[in-house]
Amino acid sequence: MDDIRNSNDRELVDAVLANRPGAFERLVREYQGLCWHIIQRMVRNPEDARELCQDTFLRVHQCLHQYRHESALKSWIGRIAWTIALRHLQRKRIPLLDLADEDGAFALENIGDGFDLELSYAEEEGRRHLNQAIEQLSPIQRTLLTLYHLEEVPIPEIARITGLANGTIKSHLFRARLRLRGALQARTGVAA
Amino acid sequence: MTEHTDQYIPPFRNAVHEREWLAQEAAMRQANQQSDLPGADARDASYRVIARRLREEPAERLPADFAEQLARQVVAGPARTAAPRLPGESILTAVLLGVLAVATGVVVALYGSTWLPSFTLVLPHPRAPAAVLLLAFAGCLGASWLLARWPSHGRRFGG
Repeated sequence: MDDIRNSNDRELVDAVLANRPGAFERLVREYQGLCWHIIQRMVRNPEDARELCQDTFLRVHQCLHQYRHESALKSWIGRIAWTIALRHLQRKRIPLLDLADEDGAFALENIGDGFDLELSYAEEEGRRHLNQAIEQLSPIQRTLLTLYHLEEVPIPEIARITGLANGTIKSHLFRARLRLRGALQARTGVAA
Repeated sequence: MTEHTDQYIPPFRNAVHEREWLAQEAAMRQANQQSDLPGADARDASYRVIARRLREEPAERLPADFAEQLARQVVAGPARTAAPRLPGESILTAVLLGVLAVATGVVVALYGSTWLPSFTLVLPHPRAPAAVLLLAFAGCLGASWLLARWPSHGRRFGG
């Protein structure tokens, strides 16, 4: 599977570098979902996210000759998107992590077990509440969850994209999901 | 940030946390495979709900023709990097340059007789060896500059 992907990547990169008609458009189509998910989850503002997505692919076009096939093209492009979004947040002085993320504010002991969340989620209000809880996560945690769940990127590949250690990513995922579980239960006041 | 490319994912030191992590992972796998295990407890059910929500696409999306537009932009060259000029900008630039030229002429006419001779004394004689060397040096610099510009010009326009 990896071999097929690598050979497709190589063929696509060669085609873009040779300026073959439609090659760059194909590359953008292939990876625009990944970039959008990373940037949109980090930045949230749709206009900024679209602009940064555009910047990402212009940077990809500009630097593609530097790509050495040492990692998957997906990771390489994801890394550019991540870096561009990160710089944007730093420029705007938006915190990348909440203090609560560091403190583990949602302790496991505070979450009760006897609550039918699936039933709760079926209601529109429960759904909205979960969405709000996701939005309240820090940019880094939101993005890691999106990469892991929606894009199905394994932790070692997320590490290549973000430059974070495997253990750090695992810890962020764990705490973010625990926090979501706590937030859902807190809505109905069931927390023990 | 340090680059970590190893495949090893360390377990949590706290066994309770590790069990919770495994429950989160199992719920994610079930959500990915769209299979719910009957009789799962409330914790598993809650993580399945969360995993299903996290797999949903964001409501906001890129425009349908995003790739097409971007490809056109790249083929057209660096139009995006050059800021669009305002309508009166070029006229204003021309007027300011004209004013600067006239002002320079007036200053030279009024005060030139006092400081121009001191400049001519400092300048080397056209036939002096130092002047020839300086001219050759300037020629080299100009040739290098032209050569350096050639490939970047081609690349920028996709050549």
